[in-house]
Amino acid sequence: MVAKKITSKIIIYILLIAGVVLSIAPFYWMIVGSTLPSGEIFRVPPKLLPGDYLAKNFQTLNESLGIAKIFWNSLFIALVYTLVSTLISAMAGYAFAKFKFKGKNVFFFIILCTLMIPSQVTLIPLFEMMVTFNWLNTYQAIILPTLASPFAIYLMRQNMKAIPDSIMEASRIDGAGELKIFFTVILPVTRPAMAAVGIFLFMSQWNSLLWPLITLNSKEMFTLPVALSSLIGMARIDYGQLMLGTTLSTIPIMIFFLLLQKHFISGILGGSVKE
Amino acid sequence: MLKKKEKQPSFTLVRKRVPYLFILPWIIGFLVFTLGPLGSSLIMSLFDWPITGEAKFIGLNNFTKMFTADPQFYDSLVITFKFAAIFVPLNLISALVLALLITQPVKGVKIFRTIFYLPAVVSGVAVSIIWGWIFNSEFGVLNYLLSLIGIEGPSWLIDPKWAIVTIVIASAWGVGTMMLIFYTDIKGIPPELYEAASIDGAGPLRQFFNITIPTITPTILFNVITSVIAALQQLTLVLLLTGGGPLKSTYFYGLFVYNNAFKHHQLGYASANAWFMFIIILILTMLIFKSSSTWVFYEAEMKKGGKK
Amino acid sequence: MKLSKMKLILLFTIALALLLSACNSTKSNSDEATEDGKVKIRFATWDVGNDVQLQQNLIDEFNAKNEKIKVVLEAYGGEYDTKITAGIGAKDAPDVMYMWNYPQYKDALEPLDSYIDKNGEEYKSDFYESLWNYNSVGGETLGLPVGYTTHVVYYNKDLFDEKGLEYPQAGWTWADLQETAKKLTNKDKKITGFAFPGKPDPYDFEMYLWGNGASYVDSDGKLKGNLNSTKSIETFSLFQDMLKDGYAITTEGSGDTEMKSGKVGMFINGAWYLSPLKEAGINYGVVEVPTFENGKSVSIVSSSGIAMSKDSKHKEAAFEFMKFWTGKEANKERIAFELPVLKSVVEEEKLQEDPVKGVFYSMLEQSEGYTPASFITENWSQVSENLGFVFEQIFNPSTRVDPKKALNEAVK
Repeated sequence: MVAKKITSKIIIYILLIAGVVLSIAPFYWMIVGSTLPSGEIFRVPPKLLPGDYLAKNFQTLNESLGIAKIFWNSLFIALVYTLVSTLISAMAGYAFAKFKFKGKNVFFFIILCTLMIPSQVTLIPLFEMMVTFNWLNTYQAIILPTLASPFAIYLMRQNMKAIPDSIMEASRIDGAGELKIFFTVILPVTRPAMAAVGIFLFMSQWNSLLWPLITLNSKEMFTLPVALSSLIGMARIDYGQLMLGTTLSTIPIMIFFLLLQKHFISGILGGSVKE
Repeated sequence: MLKKKEKQPSFTLVRKRVPYLFILPWIIGFLVFTLGPLGSSLIMSLFDWPITGEAKFIGLNNFTKMFTADPQFYDSLVITFKFAAIFVPLNLISALVLALLITQPVKGVKIFRTIFYLPAVVSGVAVSIIWGWIFNSEFGVLNYLLSLIGIEGPSWLIDPKWAIVTIVIASAWGVGTMMLIFYTDIKGIPPELYEAASIDGAGPLRQFFNITIPTITPTILFNVITSVIAALQQLTLVLLLTGGGPLKSTYFYGLFVYNNAFKHHQLGYASANAWFMFIIILILTMLIFKSSSTWVFYEAEMKKGGKK
Repeated sequence: MKLSKMKLILLFTIALALLLSACNSTKSNSDEATEDGKVKIRFATWDVGNDVQLQQNLIDEFNAKNEKIKVVLEAYGGEYDTKITAGIGAKDAPDVMYMWNYPQYKDALEPLDSYIDKNGEEYKSDFYESLWNYNSVGGETLGLPVGYTTHVVYYNKDLFDEKGLEYPQAGWTWADLQETAKKLTNKDKKITGFAFPGKPDPYDFEMYLWGNGASYVDSDGKLKGNLNSTKSIETFSLFQDMLKDGYAITTEGSGDTEMKSGKVGMFINGAWYLSPLKEAGINYGVVEVPTFENGKSVSIVSSSGIAMSKDSKHKEAAFEFMKFWTGKEANKERIAFELPVLKSVVEEEKLQEDPVKGVFYSMLEQSEGYTPASFITENWSQVSENLGFVFEQIFNPSTRVDPKKALNEAVK
């Protein structure tokens, strides 16, 4: 029995470590690549250890892209988007979870349906709309169209349902207004869920490519994915710089996730997991 | 995950407008940025809508062309479904296996959980760049490692048989989100259920099939639907990693639409293509939902048949 | 409870403030004038990396000198076509934009003949004639030439030295190239004599047909009888046979990666790779494209020009800038990364005598009088996609279709 337990533990660990290798190895090569000059990336056999070209790659990449500005763009857009979108989805999620009203099911069905709309369908008309508003190449063009995220609303609704009605009733008896109840009672108790939704929204905006690619024109406005994609596909890609750009866009979001993952995981399903 | 039994609110609300106020921001966003464009693109699909020059009303001609005169439409559709058919099951199974692994009572699972999730936080652009280098048949790390154990790796991005596999692998790398959803669900299963089963003499395998799987069927349903939608819409990877090649073996439907719009400048035709994809997704989702009544068990039924 | 309320209100205010500042802090592109009352000209480039910086410097120079015009550079990079397409479709195209694929965009571009004529015959004739061809459609000039490249053979000198082979000379034939490639190939060391793209861009590949007296289409744009002519099939077979015999390989990209690795003896491409190959430490030389029996050494010209949007609201100002951008000074400033297109500059800088750059100019002179199919065919982007697929079928190792069969199929 004991021996069997040990073997099963060993098997589990072998599988776990295999999973770790598959998850981490590509990141390792990404980092190695960013420390090599282009010429050395394409060698047989490939280099498996970091080189000393990191500073040079950074310098050239920075000269051509202006890394600080691009970082700021990505960060600003993702941050504003996350704050506003989380609030909107919390409000909608609250209404769907805790109120009865005419058309509720229809509205909710619509939300589920919008999950299925391929982005290509709305891409061109949306773009023309941005032109009409004279919004091309602005932050709000990136932020506004996806603020009402159906997935976020769905998650918020799932979480809000777990709140006992008694809390709201008690406040109502105290004579509190509905908005006050929402802000002072509901939001504080759903903080884990808001954190999870917020992290989800932040990551999706940080990584978003297609829409910013079409609406942003100038280098000064580019977000990280757009700047990266502008480096691919041209005749003269410098692989070392490309890898460095990838590393720079990836590391912050990884750190962001590592710092907040506890909230993310506990919030994503309404605290059904006890840590 | 999908549907917990709803408890009716025990009060009736006096101020009827309140819930509408709460969903108002969403309604505005939906009307302006989703429904409006959706309608516009349906109208565009009835036009010959070039980038330059006047749009011309042509009725259903775009749709006729699509169904009768454009072999690429069918090719792309078939390839996309083929991709979905490989990707969805693979993704589900690997997510489930990983989720089971990190629910095991061994030391350090939390760290493993975090590591397994990391690839999912990376953007599609980054995934394309990283895997593009790994899969390079001549200078890629993958074929080098394979050669060390005596296997001559295929020309991943040149051989049409393998190119679709590279897309599957690169997409499946981001399996973390689904894994996490399974994980939270499996963690939520009351341990008493397993204890009772063990007393009845059920081994781990039987416990898995009799308890774990039936309990998480709603989550499986959710994951099937989201990954089918994601698979059918896949664009970033084929755009940046393979460009649709080799030999159009990864010319997915998403790329077909994108190229018709932005390469061939046929906005009307592209709108028709995109609308068709929307309808296909709607129908598929509905079919999956319909089928779900036969294999998805909700909490209430579980309790009836359970041992509690 | 009070504290968390405060926090929430604070958070909400911050969010609102940020959103508002987002709306105010950014300016739209289409603004008519800048703060200082200058006319704003938007200028789109496809370049990436350092070249953008060099262009920006040149623009700063222009802006400093010019009292009425302010040029703003927009670098679109790899997704250039997507962004230009979107811009044109929305009537929001940049005033001036880099351009090569004129037929695709011709309806959105301002014909420039009247502007050019105002500057006199001498202005026009300083540009290489063959370049005007590449910047016009249907007799209308739509762009001013900025740069060009012809294709040449790059060869790895070290590999030649190792085998004690003579460096190739202008006037060599494809048979010579094949002979050399065979000698360079060393299976044990994984060295191959020659490399070409497994999915060649149809626009580029047509030059081999020209060299052999064939072309994709006739003057009516008909593929049949042209793409599948004996000479054309012969050309494709020549390339396919090199693969079959094992002294050539196909490459995933344009071949620069393989060349940079030092494992390939020769590859054919434009001037883009002059400095990247040097940076990768490859000791290379360049030579004219080989000739066919009874044929010529011809190259496609990849020309870049700048064009003006038809919707531009400041056409005079835009042309003013275009003149600067294509003028003598600008040509000289760009000399490090662009081959000058003005005869006077080429002469002053003695570029024709340059052992490397001179090859590109002699190729340019030999390639006069050919019109790429993209300028003849109505819907080139679609035709090009189909042709690319056929070529891939001929060269891809997993299909390697007989050229005769593939091309006959393609013209149906």
